[in-house]
Parts: sequence; structure tokens; C-alpha cells
Amino acid sequence: MTFATPYLAPVYPEIFLLTALSAILMLDLFISDSKRFLTYAYSQLALLVTAALLVMGASGHALSTFGGMFIDDPMARTLKLVAIVAVSFVMAYSRTYNQSRGLFRGEFYVLLMFALLGIMVMISANHFLVLYLGLELLSLSMCALIALQRDSARASEAAMKYFVLAALASGLLLYGLSMLYGATGSLFMPMVANAIASGAADPAILVFGLVFVVAGLSFKLGVVPFHMWVPDVYEGSPTAVTLFVSTAPKVAAFAFFMRLLVGALGPMVSDWQSMLVIVAVLSMLLGNVTAIAQTNLKRMLAYSTISHMGFLLLGILSGSLAGYASAMFYMVAYVMMSLGAFGLILMLSRDGFEADQLEDLKGLNKRSPWYAFMMLLVMISMAGIPVSVGFFAKLSVLSAVLDAGMTWLVVFAVMMSLIGAFYYLRVIKLMYMDEPVEESPLVAETDHRVLIGLNALAILVLGIVPQPLIDLCMASIGQSLRG
Amino acid sequence: MTDFSVLIFSAFALVLLGAAVGVITARNPVHAALFLVLAFFNGAGLWMMLEAEFLSIALVLVYVGAVMVLFLFVVMMLNVDLARLREGFWKHLPLGLGVGLLMVVEMVLVVSSKQFASLGAGMAPAAPGVSNTRELGLLLYTDYVYPFELAAVILLVAIVAAIALTLRRRKDSRYMDPAQQVRVKAADRIRIVAMRAEKDR
Amino acid sequence: MSMFSLYLLVPLAPLAGALLAGLFGKALGRTGSHVVTILGVAISFVASVVIAQDVFAGHLFNGTVYTWMTTEDISLVVGFLIDPLTVTMMLIVTFVSLMVHIYTVGYMHEDPGYQRFFSYISLFTFSMLMLVMSNNFLQLFFGWEAVGLVSYLLIGFWYTRPTAIYANLKAFLVNRVGDLGFLLGIGLILAHFGSLDYATVFARAPLLAQDSIALLSDSPVSLLTVVCILLFIGAMGKSAQMPLHVWLPDSMEGPTPISALIHAATMVTAGIFMVSRMSPLFELSETARTVVLVVGASTALFMAFLGIIQNHIKRVVAYSTLSQLGYMTVALGASAYPVAIFHLGTHAFFKALLFLGAGSVIHAMHHEQDMRNMGGLRKYMPITYVTAVIGSLALAGIPPFAGFFSKDAIIEAVQGSTIQGAGYATFAVLVGVFVTAFYSFRMLFMTFHGKPRMDHHTREHLHESPWVITVPLILLAIPSAVTGYLYIEPMVMGQYFGNAITVLPGNGGLHAMREEWHGVGEFIMHGMMALPFWLALAGIATAAALYLKWTHVPAAIQARFGGLYTLLDHKYYFDRFNEVFFAHGALKVGSAFWHKGDVSVIDGAVNGSAHLVERFSGRLRRIQTGYIYHYAFIMIFGVFILMSLWFVKA
Repeated sequence: MTFATPYLAPVYPEIFLLTALSAILMLDLFISDSKRFLTYAYSQLALLVTAALLVMGASGHALSTFGGMFIDDPMARTLKLVAIVAVSFVMAYSRTYNQSRGLFRGEFYVLLMFALLGIMVMISANHFLVLYLGLELLSLSMCALIALQRDSARASEAAMKYFVLAALASGLLLYGLSMLYGATGSLFMPMVANAIASGAADPAILVFGLVFVVAGLSFKLGVVPFHMWVPDVYEGSPTAVTLFVSTAPKVAAFAFFMRLLVGALGPMVSDWQSMLVIVAVLSMLLGNVTAIAQTNLKRMLAYSTISHMGFLLLGILSGSLAGYASAMFYMVAYVMMSLGAFGLILMLSRDGFEADQLEDLKGLNKRSPWYAFMMLLVMISMAGIPVSVGFFAKLSVLSAVLDAGMTWLVVFAVMMSLIGAFYYLRVIKLMYMDEPVEESPLVAETDHRVLIGLNALAILVLGIVPQPLIDLCMASIGQSLRG
Repeated sequence: MTDFSVLIFSAFALVLLGAAVGVITARNPVHAALFLVLAFFNGAGLWMMLEAEFLSIALVLVYVGAVMVLFLFVVMMLNVDLARLREGFWKHLPLGLGVGLLMVVEMVLVVSSKQFASLGAGMAPAAPGVSNTRELGLLLYTDYVYPFELAAVILLVAIVAAIALTLRRRKDSRYMDPAQQVRVKAADRIRIVAMRAEKDR
Repeated sequence: MSMFSLYLLVPLAPLAGALLAGLFGKALGRTGSHVVTILGVAISFVASVVIAQDVFAGHLFNGTVYTWMTTEDISLVVGFLIDPLTVTMMLIVTFVSLMVHIYTVGYMHEDPGYQRFFSYISLFTFSMLMLVMSNNFLQLFFGWEAVGLVSYLLIGFWYTRPTAIYANLKAFLVNRVGDLGFLLGIGLILAHFGSLDYATVFARAPLLAQDSIALLSDSPVSLLTVVCILLFIGAMGKSAQMPLHVWLPDSMEGPTPISALIHAATMVTAGIFMVSRMSPLFELSETARTVVLVVGASTALFMAFLGIIQNHIKRVVAYSTLSQLGYMTVALGASAYPVAIFHLGTHAFFKALLFLGAGSVIHAMHHEQDMRNMGGLRKYMPITYVTAVIGSLALAGIPPFAGFFSKDAIIEAVQGSTIQGAGYATFAVLVGVFVTAFYSFRMLFMTFHGKPRMDHHTREHLHESPWVITVPLILLAIPSAVTGYLYIEPMVMGQYFGNAITVLPGNGGLHAMREEWHGVGEFIMHGMMALPFWLALAGIATAAALYLKWTHVPAAIQARFGGLYTLLDHKYYFDRFNEVFFAHGALKVGSAFWHKGDVSVIDGAVNGSAHLVERFSGRLRRIQTGYIYHYAFIMIFGVFILMSLWFVKA
């Protein structure tokens, strides 16, 4: 039996990332604590090269390799790039925070890159098994990251919860996938789609499997009722890890939905549409309403994430190319906003002080008007107020839902956004109207300051000129799903 | 399927289910772990009937031989407080049982549909003399090389995570570093401190 | 450099200047700030001149610069339409802006907000250019709002003065009324024409000429009439036509360069420009044109009367601006769009001149604005005096100064118009000529002639303004004198505007004027024998009699006609009416709503629902128990629900 070497060019970014992270893992052993900055620098460099490989290898059409298990299409490339940039920002934002908390260790960066690798594998997966392995790679790295602060009981508790529930969700997902395999006889997504479209598969078993698949997916995205881990993990993890958990894995979850529901189970759109409606409605309701009662900033953002993910599902469930593109746009916008919000929280935190209470934002405008303004932009965008990218994200999703003919859902979503606006505006009120508890201005490293500025500026600029990003999403989705 | 194999299958399946129930109902964690071992054995038996010898043996070797033994050690050493662990078990049982039963009913309704049964019937039994292990290996290292490598990466993550989470130097424990001991210089051994002379009044 | 990048350069150069001066004003310092902004506007002016030559060589442009957003039905774009109408406006805007920039160096040199001021006026220039260069309604609206915004910022420039803040607020509120009409008009266009692009809309307009829509009642109204009137309401707000004119006199609270640039030469003429640009629409609705004509005529006449009794030098000029805007509007109503733009151009020069001249006087008088405390200034300020005379002659319409040509053309166009209200308009503009001549020379005589009435201290310090102030005056005086003679033939009589302006045959007196046209010389000769010229002379003579010879008479007249004076002094009670009816009425209605509606009903409902949400929120929060088995159970339960739902469905 001969073995032909697979066509490796589309996989270069992943291969490089794995090689680089292994090298950094080894290298880190020989670096003393005082020179730990090198590990950070190498990691950023690795991300940069990975991104460069990704961009250089870009072609307008889809490539597949490893017997079709790995697919490299425009959507995958765009999503991977977003994920890489997000992880790079995570590393940059968390540097000083980690230094003051004993988290400035090689493992942090290596695990982040492992998680990124998992995300990239998921994004490019065209085979159930690969998708699952990517998911596990991500979950396991994330779990280790959450628990990395060993002396924190809350972090350990959060990690434990995440681990157990993720295992349960994986179980549900695997069960669902095995049902689909049983009904269609294939693990390759296009073949599954063909089998379903041809009507050869038993619809009863398909929908049965679909239920479990949707459950597993919903857990990853953190939507109701599979959301219970989100607030605990957001609050319990070190903020640096929360920053990661709330950004790049969402990209993977989006890809997960696109590959599995739209790609493999596309012919069953009417079945999963109704399931997603329930999940989305519950998420927006519970996320927005519960967020109001929170006093912990991280927890509040966790519930806000739940509602955002519900909103994102609206785009997917509208079942049109424009809908998928709007969901992708929403996802990118969300990643930007989340990076900004947690980036600022990281900036507020100091040695031995976690700025994770809403109270800590009081009078921020008096202390540091510039950062208060950045936070203002982020909050405005999250609330979906115009002249911010969040507004256009909500707008495009809603128009896709409207085109799908679900007017009541649009009305409901708008009402929920109104409720949601309350707690975002409360943050603004705290920053601008209240007296600060302490007067000292924020201090931050130059790179942190510049990046936060860029981050908030991107939110503003894309709120004024959203067309390039909308075009990018449309093109990525269009070329990937038609071709 | 012959009547005899149906009989064996039923026996394996029944014991498997019983053992699974035992895992979650046994009061003693050691018993629960042993029930799990039993369940694995029966699962291996079922695979054997399907002519999946390699998987069957691997299950016994890996899970029974290695994982469960480790697990038993941990359970015995940790001295888990059973009463607290099982708190609320009986209180929540009716609800859990109700939902569980309903789900079982729904699953049975689906799985008993005809088409599912016909799927396996079309498969021809493997030709005699084909090595299960060899075929699996060939497939694993050619067609499935990508998932195989990914699985390897997951193992690497597990190692890194395990080390990162457990290996640490406690600040309060005393330990020796032979390298430092060897490298010591005379100046390090004795320190001369300049002090003002104090008079004894 | 390609023409396209030149087009881009025109608005972007002032924008760059504004940003530099606004963001880095401190770093650049005073000199740096005015250098970059003046440079930006100068570049813009030169580029405009080059573009103008290109356009008159026959190279028009209509295209998209940047696609902002595309939805399924419409695309929102930034685009340029470069045609004779556009370049005319570009030249006027950039030239006057450049003069005002230079003038400001002298006028504002003591002001602490020096850099801020330069940043604002450059920003204004950018906005105004985007407005006039637009090829679609969306950009027009953005430019419209942007110039409005800068105008509010500048009216309230001295934000420590309560009157400035009040004027600022008033301008803002009154313009909201106009903008609402404008926005509704654009909305109707989008709904019925399906596009925001000028060319597309104009092409479809004749097809929709017979369409009608039902407003409120069932009786249908012509669609185009509604659209045009709504758009004109927008123009009324910006171009200060009665009854939306009340903000303009108060806007004089802003620094004088602003009054010259924004509230005389450019922004207030945006409404005139807009209606001219929309001429393909207005031509199709006679009703709308009648409205335009009557509103314009009323403004021209009644605002001129108010100019007579003002004592503040800037307010006289302000009311004359209102009146002249009325003249332009009259020309629009008479379908004489080229004449309106012609008058817009000449007026921009002589009115900017008058304002800057007034500013020069105010500057010399240490910010004294009351003409009763001036007099005899011509000895101290010869350059300012001469330029002011030129400006006043142009305003009064004495040949051969610019105002004569444009005003006479308007009067002739109205006389030739046959639509309803033309008779009233003819009467109004003729009387207006007399009044205009009277108040402009009253101002001139009170300020520069007679005995000095200022206190001793001020008189000692009287001197001519520095060159940065006088040079713009001279540069503006030249076009105020000659543009009428030079441009009446091509602009009004010839094919200057090409296809940029549409005048349907049979509409208005423009066609008749063109037939009777026998050259500029003939026009002047004819004008000197016609009624308006003698009315203007009579006005000047009356002013001379009352304010040079028998100076006690005005006071006697004032005492004799106390009632009339009070009416004029209170500006026909417009402000009072607004205050009582709208402000107090709105307050009463508001407080009634507040007591009855808000406190009892809405507060009840809102607070109730807020409480409900809060309580609900507290409940939901309790679901998050923290127990892992609860979490797991909820997940399993979720699967169960999804599965059961499917079973129910199947």
C-alpha cells in the first residue's frame, strides 16, 4: 500500500503554527523569568507569520486536501484571520495584567496558540471527525487556560464546571453526529448534505441527530439553555482568559454553525431554523434581562454575550446568503467590541486589584477621559446605537430576518435590544455622571494604549463606513457557499 | 443472526445496562468504579461479536488495565465524603427520572424506525483472514492521517496542561538544589558584617 | 493631475486645514493655524478656477466617488456633479471664504479661540463645497446639516455670552422645522422615484408629473407639488424666508467674519442653490412656484422695512440680507433660476463686502455696534469708507455696480411672469428697491458722515484697519463693482448654465427677456429710464435728506407714527408670537402632558415595566445557582424540549 503525500499548501498556516508553538514550548524552558518577554515576543511573531502565510496563500476559490477533510475557502481564510488578530490582541492586552498575577508564563502563550490551532482546524473542517477533534483541542486548551491561576478557587471552580459541561456537550454532539452518520453513511459533510438532499436518509433519525447537534453547537456558542457555563466562566477566569474566551472561540463557534448546519445539514434548513428560533429568542430574553441585575462587570458582559450570540443566531436562522453574511459581520463586530471592553477592564486592573465590579468604573471620565471615551464607544456599539459598528451589525441581521419573513422576531429582537441598552447606558452613566471613588488616572503601556485606541477607532470608523466589512463578509460567504 | 448469538448479545447488553445503573447508584465509590470496569468488559464483548477485535482488546487493555486502575487508586486515596456527594440525589431523582424516561421513550420511537435497522443488513461480513488491526492501521496512517495528527496534538495539549496545572514549586517547602550546592564559593559561605561595637553597661 | 483628483482636492484641502487647526491647534500655534487653513482654502480656490475653465470648455462630470453603503434597492454614495451651476457656487464659496479667512487674521487676533475659529470656518467651507458638489440627495442633506451644524457652532462661538447661546439655540430650533420639511421631501422622492441620484430623479420627474398622493383627507394632491413645497420648506429654513427667518438677525451674535461668510454670502444661499438645482422638479409644479414667489416677495418687502429702523450696524446688513434673499426667491418663483443664481453671486460679493466693512468699523470702534454712537468715520477710515460706498451702491442697485444688473433682471423676470401672485411680487420688489436704497444709505450716512458722536476715548484710538482687513475689502469691492456688467450677458441671457438648469418654455419672463436682449449697453440705458432706478435714487435722496440735512426729522417721524414704529421695532411680533404661541403654548401643553400623561400614565407604565423587568431579572438571576448538576440538568432538559417540540410537530 502506497501513501501519497497530501497537498500541503493550504495547511501551511496550521503547520507553521504547530511547529512554532512547539518550538516556543521548548524555548520557554531555557528562558529565565526575567526574560519572559521573549516568549511573548516570539508568540506574537509566530502569529504574525501565520497570518502572513494565510494571506499569501489566499486564492479566490476553495481548496481541499487530506482527502477532502480539510477545506480552505474564502470564508475559512477570513475567519482564521479574524481569530489570529483576536488572539494577538488578547496577548497584547493581557501582558501587563499577566505580569502582575504570575500568569506571565510560557504555558499561557502556548495554550493560547493551541486553542488558536483548534479554532483554525474547526474553521477548515469538512469532516465530522476533524470538526470534533478541533473542538476538543480548543476545549481542552481553554479549560487549562481557565484553571491556569491555580491559587484562585474561583478559577478552579470555573474550569471544573467548564470541563464537565463541555464533556457533556461533546457527548451530546457525538451522539448526534453518530446518528447522522448512521442515517447518511458518511462523515464527509458534502456527502452528508448530498445524502440528505437525495432523500435517501430517514428524516426521523436525521432530525433526532440534529437535536443533539444543535445542543452541542449551542453549548459552544453559549446560548440558552446551554449557556449556564458562560457567566461562571467569565467571572471566575482571570480577566486575561475571559478576554480570550469571549472572542476567538466565538469565531470558531460561528464556523461550527456554518460548516455543520449550513454546510452538512443545509437541506434540513426548515428543521433547524425552528430550533434556532427558540434558542435565539430565549438567549436574547434571558441575556438582556438578567444582565440588568448584575453588579459584576464581567458577569454583566457574560450575559450581554449570551444576548449577542442570540442575535447572531438570528442571522444564521434566516437561512439566506445575506443572513449568513450578516451573522458573520455581527460576529466580527462582536469580537471587536468584546476585545475593547475586556481590554479596558484589563487596563483598569492593577496589582492585586481586579476592576471587575461596575462600581470600579465610577467617574472614569474624571480620572481618564480618553479611556472613558473608548469605553463609551464600546458600550454604544454594544447597545447598537448608530455611528458604531454594532448598529450596522444589528441592522444587517434584522434586515436579513425581515427578508426571511419573520417580522415578529424582528420586533422582539428590537424590544430586547432596548432592554439591553439600559445596562450599557448605565455603564456610561457611571463613567460620566458619578464621582470617582479614587482619583488616580489609569496608567498603561504604550502598546496597550495604541491598540485600545485602534480598537475603539475601528468600532467608530466601521460604524461610519461599514461597507468594506459588509462586502468582505458577503464575498467570503458567497464564494464559499456557491462554489 | 442465530439464536445463540442473540442470547449472548442479550446477556452482554443486559449486564452492561445493569452495570451502568450500578455506577450511578452504588453507595461505595470503589463499587461504582468496579461496576464501570464490568460495563467496559461487556462493551468489549459486544465489539468482539461485531468482529472488531482490535477495538475490543484495546478497550480492555487501555480502560480496564490502565485508566480504571488509576481511577481506583485515586478514589481509594482521596477518601471521598459520600454523604455530601449524594446529597440531593433522592430529592432530585423523580424529576431526573421523569425527564430521563421521557427521553428514553422518544429515543426508542426514533431508533425503532425501520430504515435504521436496514442499514447494517447491507454490509457483507468481512472475508476470513483479513486482519482487523492491519486494516485499521493502514486506514489510520493514510486516509485518516490528518485526524490522527490532530489527536496527537490533543495529547500534547493534555500533557502541557497537566504539567502546567500540577508542577509547581511550593514556596513553603524546603528542597535542595545540588547544582547550586556544587557551584558554591567560599565567599558565599561566610558573610562578614560590619557592626558598631556595643558596650555593655 | 487628473481632473478627478482636482475635484477631490477642492473639498479635501479645506478639510485638511480644518483638521490640522482643530486637532493640532495648540501645537501649530496661531500663525501655524491660520497659515494651514488659508493655504487649504487658497488651494481649493485655485483648483476651482481650473475646474471652472475645464467645465466651460465643455467637460462635465457626474460620478460616484465612494460607495458608502449598498442595500438591495438603493445605494448610498458620495458623488460629484460638476456642471456650470456647481462651479459657479464653488467659485463664490471658495473666493469669499478665502477673503474671510484672510480678514479673520486681523479681526480675531485678540480672541483666545483663534485656532478653533479657523478650524470651524475651514470646516464650514468643506461642508458647503460637499453640499454644492453633490450629485445626490443624501449627500446634499448631509452637507445641509453639516453647514447648519458649523453655523450653530459659530453663532455660539462666544459661548460665555447668554445672548449668543440663545441665538444659537434659536437658529437650531428654527432650522429643525425647515429640515423636517426637507427630510420629508427627500423621503417622498426616495419612496416614489426609487432613487436619490439627481440624474435619475430628474429623468423620471416628467413621468410622475401627473401622479398624485392622498394627504390626510382623501382628496389627492399632486405628488410633485408636495415634494417641491416640502423641499422649499427646507430652503425657507436655511435661506431664512418668512416665517422661518427669525433666526438670522439673532445670528449676528456670532463674530462678524461669520456673518459675512455664512449668514450672507454662502450658507443662507444654500436654499436658493438647492431650488435652482431642483429646477426640473419645480418647473413641473406651478402651485409650488406660486408658493415660492409669494413667500419670497413677502420676505423681500417686509424684511426691508425692518432694515429702516435698526440702529445696530450689523442688524441693518442682516435685514438687508433677508430682503435680498427674498429677491432671489422671487426670481426662483418666476422660473428665472439663472437670474437667482446671478443675484446670489453679486450679492455674495457686495454683502460680504458690507459685512466685512461693518466689521472693520466695529473693530475700529472697539466692538461698538450702535450707529447712533458713530458718525464722521470717513475721515479716519478712508479705505473702509470707499469700499462701503461701493457696496451700498451695489446693494441699492445703481448702475454700473453689480447689484443693478441682477436686481433689474429679477424685476424684469417677475414682470414677465404670468403665474398667480406675480402682480403682488412685482409690487413688492419695486417698493423694496426704494426701501433698500433708503436703509443702505441711511447706514452709510449715519456711520461715515455727519458729526462724530462717539466718546472722546474711542475717537482718539480711531484708525484705519490693518492690511489683512482692508485687502479683503478691496478684493471684494472689485467684483461688487464689475461682476454684474461682465456676467449678465452670459449668465442670464446666454447658455452659461447649459443643461444644469431647466426652464420649461412658457414659464416666466426669462424667455421674454432673452428675446428683448440687445446687449449690455442697451440694458443699462433701458434700466436708467425705468422705474426701479428712479425709486433707488429717490431712496438715496430721502436718506440724504433725513440723515444729512434735517437730522431732527427722523425722531419726529418716529414720534408721529409711534404705532408703526412699535410694529417694526418688534419685527412684526414674529418673535413675540413664537414665544407666546409656540414656546409658552408648548410649555403648557408639555406640562399638561407631563402632569396628566407622564406622571400618571406613562411613569406608571414605564416604572411598572421597569420594576417588572427588574423583578424578572432578579428571578432569572436565581436560576444561575452555581451547582454543576443544575447546569447539566438544564442542558439535558433543553435537549429534551427541542426533541419533544419536534415530536409534537411531526
